[in-house]
Amino acid sequence: MTSAVPVSLHSISKSFAGIPVLRNIDFDVRSGEVHALLGENGAGKSTLIKIIAGVHAPDSGTIRLGETTYTAVSPKEARRGGVATVYQELLLFPELTVAENVFLGNAPPNKAGMLDWTAMRRGARQLLDSLDSPDLDVDAKVGTLSVANRQRVEIAKALSQDAKVLIMDEPTAALADADIRRLIAVVKRLRDRGVGIIYVSHKLPEIFELADRVTVLRDGALIGTRPIGEVTEQTLVSMMVGREIDHLFPRGEPNIGEVLLRVDHLGFGARVRDISFELHKGEILGLAGLVGSGRTELALTIFGITPATSGTITLDGQPVTISSPKQARNLGIAYVPEDRGLQGLVRPMTIAQNNSMASLHNVARGIFINVATELKRGADSITKLGIRARGPDQVVGQLSGGNQQKVVLGKWLETAPRILIMDEPTRGIDVGAKAEIHALMSRLAGDGMAILMISSELPEILGMSDRVLVMHGGRLMATIDRADATPETVGAAMTQASAHEVAA
Amino acid sequence: MTASRFLRHETILAVLVVIALIVLGAQSDKFFTLDNLLNQGRLMTEVGLIAIVMTFVIITGGIDLSVGSILGLSAILLGVFWKNLGLPLELAIFLALCVGTLAGFVNGIIITRFRFPPLIATLGTLALYRGMAEGISQARSVRGYPDWFYILGQGQSFGIPTQLWLLVFVAIVAAIILGTTTWGRATYAIGSNETAARFSGLRVDWVKIAIYSASGFAAALAAVIFVSRVSTTRSDMGTGIELDAITAVVLGGTSIFGGKGTIVGTMLGLILIQALKNGLSLAGVKSDGTIVLIGAVLILTILVSNVIYRGGTR
Repeated sequence: MTSAVPVSLHSISKSFAGIPVLRNIDFDVRSGEVHALLGENGAGKSTLIKIIAGVHAPDSGTIRLGETTYTAVSPKEARRGGVATVYQELLLFPELTVAENVFLGNAPPNKAGMLDWTAMRRGARQLLDSLDSPDLDVDAKVGTLSVANRQRVEIAKALSQDAKVLIMDEPTAALADADIRRLIAVVKRLRDRGVGIIYVSHKLPEIFELADRVTVLRDGALIGTRPIGEVTEQTLVSMMVGREIDHLFPRGEPNIGEVLLRVDHLGFGARVRDISFELHKGEILGLAGLVGSGRTELALTIFGITPATSGTITLDGQPVTISSPKQARNLGIAYVPEDRGLQGLVRPMTIAQNNSMASLHNVARGIFINVATELKRGADSITKLGIRARGPDQVVGQLSGGNQQKVVLGKWLETAPRILIMDEPTRGIDVGAKAEIHALMSRLAGDGMAILMISSELPEILGMSDRVLVMHGGRLMATIDRADATPETVGAAMTQASAHEVAA
Repeated sequence: MTASRFLRHETILAVLVVIALIVLGAQSDKFFTLDNLLNQGRLMTEVGLIAIVMTFVIITGGIDLSVGSILGLSAILLGVFWKNLGLPLELAIFLALCVGTLAGFVNGIIITRFRFPPLIATLGTLALYRGMAEGISQARSVRGYPDWFYILGQGQSFGIPTQLWLLVFVAIVAAIILGTTTWGRATYAIGSNETAARFSGLRVDWVKIAIYSASGFAAALAAVIFVSRVSTTRSDMGTGIELDAITAVVLGGTSIFGGKGTIVGTMLGLILIQALKNGLSLAGVKSDGTIVLIGAVLILTILVSNVIYRGGTR
C-alpha cells in the first residue's frame, strides 16, 4: 500500500550443488493482486519463494522490498519488508493457543514489560474476525484445530506482522472442498485490502478464479508472465510442459503381450478407492495425477506396504494376497520408491550391500553371506546400469542422485522381477541420467517386463507410456491410449477432476 | 562399512586396553596373576552375555533397559520353580530361561506391534518385571542348591572358569552371526534405515522381535550363572546391570543411533571396564574414584573416535 510493487526480483539465479535450479528470473508482485506461480515439480517454485522469504540466498540478481534493494535478504529483513509466508507444512506450535501462536515473536508488551494477554487475545480476535472466522476460539490449542483452521491462524499471524506480501505455498493441497471455498474467499478479501499475494498451486481452476497474473517456471527458467485474461488452461499446460516430447523419449515400437497383473476394485481406506486396471507384459503403463491424487498410495497397496482393504489382485490369472513387501517380492513385484534417500537406500552401506538388499538369497549360502559373490554381483550391476562409481565397495551416500537411483533400480533388478513399479523414477536427477533411465525402461519392457510408471512430469508420462491412467482423489479418472495421449487430454483429465472439486 | 573403516574404533580401544593393562599391572603385583585374571573373567560373564546381545539391540537403533529386571525375575523364578514347586533343578533352569526369553519377546511385541519407542517400552517393563520379581519373592531368598549347580558359577573346566567358556562361545557365535549372516546384515540395515529395509522386503519386525527375545534369553542365562556364582537368589539381583552392559557396548564403538557396531568392540569395552575396576581397586583407589574414571574414559574414547571419524564420510 505504501508502494505499488512491494516485492520485485531481477535476474535471480540459484544453483544447488552445481545444478542450476533458477536462471535469470524476473518476478514481481503488486499491491492488491494475486500473482499465481505455476510449474511442474522441480521447476523452481519453492526455491523462488524461499529466496523471497529469506530462506535461501540467490547466487546472483537483486531483490527489492519496498524501497530497499538487496542482493540477499535474511528472514528477518524479509519480515520487516512486509513479506509473510504460509508454508505447506504449517509452522505452528501445537501446544500453544491460537492467540499465542498469532503473536509469537511480536507480542505486544504491557507497561511492566510482560506479555499483555488481554491485548493479545483481543488482537487475535480482531484478526480472525477480519478473516471471516468468528467461530475460531483464540484460547484453543492449535494442536486441536483442523488443517483449515490452522491455516487461518497462520494467515492471521502473517497479518499481525502487517504483511504487504503474503506467499501461499499450495494452500489448498490438504483441504476439503468446503474449506477451499472459504480459503478462496479469505484470499479475495486480503487482495481487496491491498495485500499482494503470491499463490503457488497445481490446481488450474483455482488459479483462474483468483489470479490477476500468472507466471510459469520450467526447469528453473521463466517461461512467461501473463495477465490471466490472456491464457487458457491449454496454454498454461503447454507452457508448463513445453518441450518437444518425442525427441527426449526414444520409446521404440512396444511389444505388448498377455495380461500379467489385474487389479479389480482395489481399495485402501479412503486413499485408494475402487481401482481396476490391467497391466500387460512388455507394457509401460503411465500413472498420472496431481500430487496427493493417490498414485503412490496405489503402488504401496500393490507392493504390500499398506495391504489392500478391499478388492482383488490377480497375477497370471491367479488371485493373490499381498500383505508384505516380502510377499510382493516373492511374487515378482518390485517397487522403486519415490523417496530414494528414505525408502530406497541404506546410504552408509556400499553399492554391493545395497544391491543385494532385496535378494540376499542370491549372495548367501544358507544364512552365510558370500562377500565375494556379493561384490561380483555389485560390480555386474555397476556395468549393466552404467553406475559411475569407484567400485562395488563405495558407500552409496557418496554417489550423485542419478547414480543412487540406478543403485535402487539395480537392487530390484537383482530380484528378477516381472512387474516393476517405478515411482517418480527420474525426480531430482540430471538430464543425462534421466535419458539413461528412460532408455533402460524401454529395454526392460522390450524384454517382456511389465512396468507401472508413476510420474508428475507430463512429458515423461506422454513420452514413455503405452497407456496412461489418470488418478484423482484416490480414484481412477481416465484411461488414455498412447495415440490419444496429449498434454491437453491428460492435462484435462487431471484438471477436469479439480474443476469438479472447486465447483462442488 | 568395510572392515577397515569399522575396525578403526576397535583399534583405538585395543591400544587403550593394552595401555590400561600395563599401567594397572605396574601398580600392583597381584594384577597380572593368573588367578586374578581368571577371576575377573568370571566376574564379567554376566554383564558380558547381556552386552553381546545388547550390541544387536543398539545396532538396530533400539535399547533394552529391562535386562536387569529380567535377570532378577528369572533368578527368582529359578528358585521358586525348584524350591517351592519342587521341580527338578534342570527343569527349573530350563523354565527360567524360557521366562526370560518370553519377557524379551513381550518387549519385542510392544516395540513392533504397538510402535513404542524401545526406550519407553523397556523402561516400562524394567519396572514391571522387577515388581513381579519382588512380588513373587516376598523378600525371601532361596539357598541350598545341589553341589553340581555351583560348577557353572564357581567351578572350572580345563583350568578356566566354566562360565568364561560360555562367554567366549557366545561371543564367537554372536560375532559370526552379526558379521557374516543375512540376519546380521538385516540388523545393520534396520539400524541405518528401517524404512528402506522394510521396502527391500526384509522382515524388519520379525528380526527385531527375535533380537529382543535373545536379549531376554541372555539376561536369563546371566541370571542362572549369577545364582550359581553367589549361591543364592534375591529379587534385587541384576539391578543396574543394564547400564554396565550399555556402557560396554557404547565404549565398544556401537552407535546409539544404530547401524554401526561390532562384537569385538563390545568385548574390548567389557575388558577395559573390568580391568579398570579391578586394577584400580588393587591399586588402592576407592570405588567412587573408579566410577569417575570409567565415566571419563567412556566420554574421552567416544570423543577421540568421533574426531577421527569426522574426516570420514558420515
